[in-house]
Amino acid sequence: MKKIKITALSVLLMGSMMMSCKDQLDIQNPNQPTPASAATESGVVGLAQGAIYINGFTSSGDKYYDGVVGAFYNGVIGFHEMMGDVVAAEAANTYMNNLSAPNSVTLDDGTVVPNPNSPSQQITLLRNVNVNAQQGGNPGFHEWALMYGLNNAANSVLEVVEKTTFSGDAATKKNTIKAWAYLWKGYAYSRIGSIYYAGLINNASSSTNGNYLAKEKIIDESNANYDKAAALSGAITNTADYSTIMGALIPSYFQTGKGAVPTTAQFIKNLNTLKARNIIVNTPVASMTAAQWNQILTLTNAGVGASDPVFAGNTNTAGDIFSPLNYSVAARSVGANASGGTYKISERLIQDFNTGDKRLANNFNQFAVWVGNSDRGNAFNTRWGIKDGGNGLAGVMVYTNRTAGMAELYMLGSYEENELMKAEAKLYTGDIAGAATSINTVRTYQGAGLAALASTDLATVKEELRKERRVALAFRGLSFYDARRWGVLDSGRKNAVVISKDGKTINTKASITYGYLDYWDVPDNELAYNPAAAGSAPIKNPKQ
Amino acid sequence: MVGKIAGAQITSGNGMPGQPVNILLRGINTINRGTSPMILLDGIQLGTTDLNSIDLNTIDRVEVVQGAAAATIYGAQGANGVIQLFTKKGKNGQLTIDVSSSVIRSEYLNIGGLKKANMHGFVTNANNEVVGGSGKPLTLDPTYGSYSENVIWNSTDPTVQINKPYDKNLQYYDHFSMFFQPSTNHQHSVAIAGGTAKSDFSMSLSHAQQETNFKNLGGIGRTNFTSNIGAELAKGLKLRSITQLIYTKNTINDATGRSIIYSVFNSRPFANYDFKDTDGNYPVYFGDAVGVNGANPNFVNQYTSSLINKVDVVQNLSLNYQFPKFVELDAKYGINYQHQENIYTYLNQTGNKNAVDQQYFYSNYGTDGSGELDNYTYNTTFQNFLASAYFKTDFQKDFGLSLPIRTSTQVSFDWRDRYYKEYITYGLGLPTYTPFNASQTPTNRIASDYKIPFVTYGYLVNQRVDYGEVAGISGGFRTDYSSAFGAASTPFTFPRGDGYVRLSAFDFWKDSKIASTVEEFKLRAAYGEAGIQPNQFDRYVTLNTKTIGTSNSFYFPLSQSNPGLNVEVSKELEIGTDIGLSLAKGTPWFNDLSINASYWKRSTDNAIYNIDAAPSTGVGTLKDNAFSLASRGFQFSLNASIFKNSDFSWNFTTNFGKQTSEITAVRGGAEVVITSAAGSTGYVLRAGEKIGQLYGFYAIHSLDEKLPDGTFAIAEANRGNYEVASNGWVVNKTTKAPYFSTKQFAFGDPNPKFNMSFINDFSWKGIVNFNFQVDWVYGSHLYNQTKEWMYRDGIHSDYQVPITINGQTGAWSAFYRGVYAEVSRNGTKNYFYEDASFARLRNLSVAVDLVKAFGIKGFRKLQLVMTGRNLTTITKYTGMDPEISSGANASAWDRGTDHNTMPNLRSYQVGLNIGF
Repeated sequence: MKKIKITALSVLLMGSMMMSCKDQLDIQNPNQPTPASAATESGVVGLAQGAIYINGFTSSGDKYYDGVVGAFYNGVIGFHEMMGDVVAAEAANTYMNNLSAPNSVTLDDGTVVPNPNSPSQQITLLRNVNVNAQQGGNPGFHEWALMYGLNNAANSVLEVVEKTTFSGDAATKKNTIKAWAYLWKGYAYSRIGSIYYAGLINNASSSTNGNYLAKEKIIDESNANYDKAAALSGAITNTADYSTIMGALIPSYFQTGKGAVPTTAQFIKNLNTLKARNIIVNTPVASMTAAQWNQILTLTNAGVGASDPVFAGNTNTAGDIFSPLNYSVAARSVGANASGGTYKISERLIQDFNTGDKRLANNFNQFAVWVGNSDRGNAFNTRWGIKDGGNGLAGVMVYTNRTAGMAELYMLGSYEENELMKAEAKLYTGDIAGAATSINTVRTYQGAGLAALASTDLATVKEELRKERRVALAFRGLSFYDARRWGVLDSGRKNAVVISKDGKTINTKASITYGYLDYWDVPDNELAYNPAAAGSAPIKNPKQ
Repeated sequence: MVGKIAGAQITSGNGMPGQPVNILLRGINTINRGTSPMILLDGIQLGTTDLNSIDLNTIDRVEVVQGAAAATIYGAQGANGVIQLFTKKGKNGQLTIDVSSSVIRSEYLNIGGLKKANMHGFVTNANNEVVGGSGKPLTLDPTYGSYSENVIWNSTDPTVQINKPYDKNLQYYDHFSMFFQPSTNHQHSVAIAGGTAKSDFSMSLSHAQQETNFKNLGGIGRTNFTSNIGAELAKGLKLRSITQLIYTKNTINDATGRSIIYSVFNSRPFANYDFKDTDGNYPVYFGDAVGVNGANPNFVNQYTSSLINKVDVVQNLSLNYQFPKFVELDAKYGINYQHQENIYTYLNQTGNKNAVDQQYFYSNYGTDGSGELDNYTYNTTFQNFLASAYFKTDFQKDFGLSLPIRTSTQVSFDWRDRYYKEYITYGLGLPTYTPFNASQTPTNRIASDYKIPFVTYGYLVNQRVDYGEVAGISGGFRTDYSSAFGAASTPFTFPRGDGYVRLSAFDFWKDSKIASTVEEFKLRAAYGEAGIQPNQFDRYVTLNTKTIGTSNSFYFPLSQSNPGLNVEVSKELEIGTDIGLSLAKGTPWFNDLSINASYWKRSTDNAIYNIDAAPSTGVGTLKDNAFSLASRGFQFSLNASIFKNSDFSWNFTTNFGKQTSEITAVRGGAEVVITSAAGSTGYVLRAGEKIGQLYGFYAIHSLDEKLPDGTFAIAEANRGNYEVASNGWVVNKTTKAPYFSTKQFAFGDPNPKFNMSFINDFSWKGIVNFNFQVDWVYGSHLYNQTKEWMYRDGIHSDYQVPITINGQTGAWSAFYRGVYAEVSRNGTKNYFYEDASFARLRNLSVAVDLVKAFGIKGFRKLQLVMTGRNLTTITKYTGMDPEISSGANASAWDRGTDHNTMPNLRSYQVGLNIGF
């Protein structure tokens, strides 16, 4: 008995196990697929859907994500809407409150209230915090990171699709996926070139280069990608296979209302609207040329129509991409009263509604004055709260609907944007009546219930156009671009409604000097790990 | 163990039941894996069961192996040192039954006197009522339980003072007494032990129940069964089986307590959180007036709950055969299994008027207030096999040689296999009736189905030679394979060695006069290297998957794995001495003094960290062997019998440890700025500096002070605008706001300069035992993030403290608010970086044995024990407890933040131990 045991033990000890052990080391990750898994027909579609939406627009694409700040459509777009004076915020995460604190406000009685923050100018703040040590505290980091995440996703899709074997009409399937990828690359470059003073062109996955290019070159690259998407889409004849693939790329629950799968022609119309946007938002209105206006006319005439699908996002209960309660800036403005949510409704948005505009009645309720922390800015006290799902006026648009599946989030362009760009082009090319007609069309489309604008007075129609863009396109990420191109950032705004810091006085003749930085410097997190190579364009906006 | 191990820093960073202690034995050697040492139970690694799940009453002794030089022997994961626990054994011929029972009363510590201001600075009307934007007094809406208007607080107005009482429409509620409460806890155990010449057994059953010190937040109950059975099967052949069965039921609704404490501390004190609406429900959010970060804990506990059931099994078997001569064979096998089920319930909140009105809901996976049921299941199976052969010779005894040489050759093989499995499901949308279960939720998802297999094995060869009592030397190596590197990997081999000389064993010593006082004098040195492996999947590049609606999609993880990742290599050199003294032979005083002192130095190359990638690559961070670390320390312990005669004894122990760790290199040279796992607070990791320094903005104490970069904080031309306020901080004379730099700088190393403990044991005739322990931590710092948050909304009582600025004395809101808001709101600022040195009466205990005292028959022992813990603390720290650590447990760098964490407890325990 004893002997057997010892022998057994000895054998155990002599290390014969060493050989058998080695196989045990061969452990693969049993949980997740490897990148090779994406190179199949279903795999590349899964990648082209997941990477585009998740890496490009959600918290999973932002290494410095902060839930109070939000991701893309409820965060980055929020920065634009704050600087466009559509909303404001009290939360200080990523200095978001400071982004919409104007340099000074002159009240009706002549009192000048300077920006109470330290530093007291938004430009100075943005420069102070554009250091790598601020990580996600630098507001300029997020749009850059998400949009390059989107670009990388599209680059990866373009690389993988070439390695994928498709069944059936491989060319159509492949080109549909490529057109999709170029669309999003175009959008990523459009966002970068429309907010950063310089950018990078990157056409390979998970890599970069140090050749920073001026913002104009980035917009050119955006247009080039939109053109590639249009060329590929325009050449497709097998519409059945195209629709199948496009229908698999767009999440099924997005495909209602404006989120329906576009035909190839509708796909191209969307691209035209986006190309028109690239021109209009990046050129001060004062320096737009006739050629540019005519280009806008051409593009918008071939742009999104009233009944065309527009890549509208939607929500589901599980919040797979967008969550019902916080999918957009408008959704994050909802609250019990004028204190709203993270975002507060600006009095300057409300004052841009014409009297009797049903869109105001349907979407906003007036409350007692909500007074925010007075040390966070003087311009953001408000009486207005946004109403989730609207107040029930039939046929009138709602800005936000927080019931799962009821959101309509304009991820790219929209019919209203296209028509109002058309209106502006008409206005500046001498067709004032035509401009008024386009404005009226949009108002009717949104159920504004306003009497048709019949004026042919340039100033009147121009003002109505300004107001209409403010109202019709609010929360869609265009208001800062508009403030910039209309010169509002520098020349400010007169006759503004501003509530004094004690909540007692509703000023209606206040003047606001915004003074915000028009194009942001390249974020330092990029520069710390990818410094500008020799010959790069300036990475810092010379504006002081 | 706190204070009992020289050189180790063991701290209790969170007073919630079940929270682990932070253990740092020797240096910060890895960033990736933290500072936790390996735990061995009777020689077998405890691979999944938490140290704090073990019933320490069943532990006979604890041995700590601190450095890599020694710990290499115990396995590839031993780089952070090893804590060895040995289970009690039964003794030959003695059957004992021990029953013990104790009751413990605990209350939370608030050493620094943290409290809320009972004054405010809000705009009031002529009647001193606080008014809102409408000019009307604020009132709590009785239907919705909220204030519809905000208070008006011109917080940075240099004329506003925090000096108005809450005596009109807003009343002051003491949220501390509303929510923090003492707890009464129990411990009971029964143990039976005995043995014969050839076998022994010891069994114990115990139960401990501990409630949280926060109202209705739940508690932990733990039941342990331990058995230790040994038998000599044949001459020289011993089999031993040690079993631990542990069942833990945890109902704590917020494991760390941090979010619920945060919601209380950030509520202005006029919120009456005991208010219920007409439906009998607690409102959750009382409006911005109460503070945007406030929320009602009563709501949290009304609508959410947590139930964690955990079963741990530890089964160790060991077989040892000792040949009559030369050879000893030993095989150990242990299996450690843990099954844990967490059920989190978020009731449907759509019936709560306040929650619906404020759109303020609690959910985890859900996106609204319709409730959810989450079920987390975790299983871990850990197996450890360890086989050793020892070949021992004694030249004198075995070979009859005159040389007093003994040799010992050890060849060991060990194998560890860990299999972790998690499965998480959730159902969204709960009915409003009860009972319900997951089958009644309309949306169900599997959130996670994740497995981590891991295998590592290796062998150790070690040769030891001793020459009499005079000297000894050993050397060897360890080779390890790891599945983190796959089948094709080459093993990592690390050398070790040690040696000693006992000078006191030489004749010259023995003959000298000094030998009568210095009885033992030994010098020793050791060197060792250890490999710290990457985590199992750190080298495997994968895609993430996500269900989008009805389709399966792929996306890229933000943190990318790196197939080129290498093992981290930690090296240690230790030298030390052991001295035994008898100072006054023949008297009862100062005999049996022993002193152990060691100096050690270690370094780690290739420490793994997620390094930022340029965002334009689309990659967030990349795992890389990016850091080199170095640390060194000195430790010292003194054990002494101060006095001993037949009736009375007094033993004294003091332990001292001093250590420091720094980063010697970072790949690429960039500074790495990181936020505490607790949130908010910034740290920096930078080459050439101490690891884990707080990082932020500087306030200054004199007008001509220079910032750490050598530049003047305030340009000479602007100094006229500033002065030093009566509290010592430089402020702007007009705005009363403090100065802060616009750049960020490191504040210094928050880790203690040294820590020390003093332990005294007194015994009188074995009848009365009295002991106490004082712990002293010197030079540690804490970032008081708790306070900074309470500065946000004027909640902290500091706001009431008057200061003089520009000749005006008052409780100036603009100063305090400015501390929070200037330059960066809630930015990390040296104002909140406080000295957290402390001395603490850790333990004070009196035990009286009634059997011995009164000669009671029928009992072996009848002992009454009264123990107090954490009775007094001396510190300058202004937070609740200078021992708090809110960052990640056992983190390499996240070691200096106090951010809304439950402080440690002061407890009074009365116990009765009965032995038969």
